[in-house]
Amino acid sequence: MNEDRRRILDLLAQGRITADEAERLIAAIEKGPASASPSQGPETPTKAKPKYLRVLVEQLDGAAADSPSLVNIRVPMQLLRAGVKLASLIPAQARVHVNGALRENGVPFDLSQIKPENLEEIIDQLDDLTVDVDQKNEKMKVKVFCE
Amino acid sequence: MIPFAAEVSFRSRRHGPLHLWIPLPVLWILVLPLAVLALPLFLIGCLLLDVRPFPVVAMLWNILTSLNDTEFSVDKPKGSFSMHLY
Repeated sequence: MNEDRRRILDLLAQGRITADEAERLIAAIEKGPASASPSQGPETPTKAKPKYLRVLVEQLDGAAADSPSLVNIRVPMQLLRAGVKLASLIPAQARVHVNGALRENGVPFDLSQIKPENLEEIIDQLDDLTVDVDQKNEKMKVKVFCE
Repeated sequence: MIPFAAEVSFRSRRHGPLHLWIPLPVLWILVLPLAVLALPLFLIGCLLLDVRPFPVVAMLWNILTSLNDTEFSVDKPKGSFSMHLY
């Protein structure tokens, strides 16, 4: 454990990684055995790594019977990861424009901050997200989850 | 692996169900000469935008290979559409 930590600190001292990256790596090391220890028990179920992001739009009960509407999207996680990596290739001047447009529309977000690790964090938290949408005539349920 | 087939289905009130199985290698073969022709423009664009071309190509290839097993379907009373790449 100390060896890993020392190696990270050496990389930080050499300037090969940033302080943020070092912090993230140390956190991952600290988290590693803590998350691994419960799975050592024979009865603890291990969570399988999700392969797909699924988006389902379903009609809620009480909606008009003649207007069934359903959207079913299944996107491989690999595609999302590739998309996130693609964001890092956006030219600097284009990124400034996109960030400016996002800020103007009330989304103060920096595209350069998107990293594959962030996506993994989102996937970890995205066990089963359900959003209820009320339209004029239709009541819908949007489910976003990983499988 | 890049997707090799696309299953596309349509259904509408006027027309009956239409089920298409599209062999994508045919599409890739058609696109390949266009890609070769567009290569100089792509390189010039990369130079102008100060973007390294090889990571971009690698990323696009990565996206293409990741498309495998993508599924999309919409059902409406008027009709439905579904697409599956594999």
